[in-house]
Amino acid sequence: MESNKIEMLLDAYFEGTTTIQEEQQLREYFSNETVAPHLESYAPMFQAFEQAHKECSQQEIELPKPLIAQRRWWLSIAASAVIAIGVAGYVFTNANQGLTQEEQEALAAFEKTKAALQQISMNFNEGAEELTYIDEFNTTTKKILK
Amino acid sequence: MPYKDKLFRLAKRILVSRDEAEDAVQEVYLKLWKGKQKISKYDNPEAFAVTMTKNYCLDRLRSKQAGNLKIVHSNYEHSDNVERKVEARDGVNMVFEIMETLPETQRIVLQLRDVEQYEFAEIAKMLDSNETAIRVNLSRARKTVREALKKQYNYGIK
Repeated sequence: MESNKIEMLLDAYFEGTTTIQEEQQLREYFSNETVAPHLESYAPMFQAFEQAHKECSQQEIELPKPLIAQRRWWLSIAASAVIAIGVAGYVFTNANQGLTQEEQEALAAFEKTKAALQQISMNFNEGAEELTYIDEFNTTTKKILK
Repeated sequence: MPYKDKLFRLAKRILVSRDEAEDAVQEVYLKLWKGKQKISKYDNPEAFAVTMTKNYCLDRLRSKQAGNLKIVHSNYEHSDNVERKVEARDGVNMVFEIMETLPETQRIVLQLRDVEQYEFAEIAKMLDSNETAIRVNLSRARKTVREALKKQYNYGIK
């Protein structure tokens, strides 16, 4: 680019009236090896800006975690619901069939005892029926001793 | 972290120290994070982040804590010719040193325009100012750098 155009741009630049594009032209011109001798004193300025633009931060930004947890509150509710259903299902299925060997034996013994007791009570009732004949004595004695 | 480097460069321009600048950026991100719901309402989050960084850094600068800031320079790019390289490094160094002597507002405007290449309208929004004021500040800052640079060059020749 001819140096007089650069001079014009420079004048505008120092008045603060150049556009981003024009400033880009200036930066490009001054980053070249062939800068007109009388303009060389401006080069460090534009080189400095270019360099400053390349500087990067080395650090990692640390941000707190709790907000992420808050965003997924429904996940925890869903998880606890699934667990509750699982536990409830386990308990209910076990109540019906999941008896241990000992419990099954106890149940059988209970049934046998019940049958035995039933038999005893049946015999007992039979005996009690027989006792009704004793009442006959009472009625007959009442007739005689009236 | 989308604007991390831009915010860092601005913070470093204001605070000079690299460590201070990194702390500032961390702090600004924390604040932005806490106000996450609010920031989505702004039409230009980048400008908002820049404004926050600027305010935070100026506060830091004014607080007593920042009383003993130290200047930390980074390494500079290399060019082919050794002689030219030395010369350019000196010149570039000089520009950075001159920039440190500028008033804060001019320094910030110069950083946002000549380093980050924001439009005047954006800068005006970031600094809560108007375009004319920005142009005036920028013109003054550029001229100051030019004059200081000229003085240094003449001193070297004489």
